[in-house]
Amino acid sequence: MTPNQKKRALRLIAQPPRGSDLAKAKKFGVDLTLLFENLLLTPTERARKLSSGAKAVQSLRQAGERYRSKK
Amino acid sequence: MNLEETIRALFDANVEFVLIGGAAMQMQGSAHLTEDLDFCYSRSAKNLERLARAMAPHHPRLRGAPEDLPFRFDAATIKRGLNFTFMTDLGAIDFLGEVAGVGDYAAVKKNSDLMAIFDMDCLVLSLAGLIRAKEAAGRERDLEVIPELKGLLDLRKRSQK
Repeated sequence: MTPNQKKRALRLIAQPPRGSDLAKAKKFGVDLTLLFENLLLTPTERARKLSSGAKAVQSLRQAGERYRSKK
Repeated sequence: MNLEETIRALFDANVEFVLIGGAAMQMQGSAHLTEDLDFCYSRSAKNLERLARAMAPHHPRLRGAPEDLPFRFDAATIKRGLNFTFMTDLGAIDFLGEVAGVGDYAAVKKNSDLMAIFDMDCLVLSLAGLIRAKEAAGRERDLEVIPELKGLLDLRKRSQK
């Protein structure tokens, strides 16, 4: 993303144009700031984030299973 | 799930594939989390051989099937089936011969973006393709990600003007 594109994107997520898909996403509950942050990443950075996110979800699930089995 | 190792295994064996599903969503900028990897693969005879060879060292077994169910992942097996859901040493991986709403590998490839992931050029289903696939799948969990995907596409288009 160029500096100009970044500026435009920041303006858009702060005030999505009325009736746009961006506005609909915000209304639906999508956190537009997360999308903006992701767009700043390179594909490789996104891939690393994807793998670490999956590991975190797996760890949480395993912790939950351990907790339930102790109950 | 190990995205890098999985893509590398496919890449090194010259498998023709496109990253689809939740991982493709994340690669396109979505904040959605996923635990498995989905790929659309070419059904050419050569590619079936390559796919079987690429996955063999990672011991693919059918997900959700009894462990003693005999299963051999080779080109002949892939040819007889279309979509496969596996557990492998690299994590849960699905291989789809077709993607609902988009089509077979050739159509999916046409609707994909080339991305440099790690040091590999990898095809990833486009946002428009992902939206079509989610709309066609039509399950609640698919439909609920569509506003995010459409918002993302809108954000990308408007900010790049």
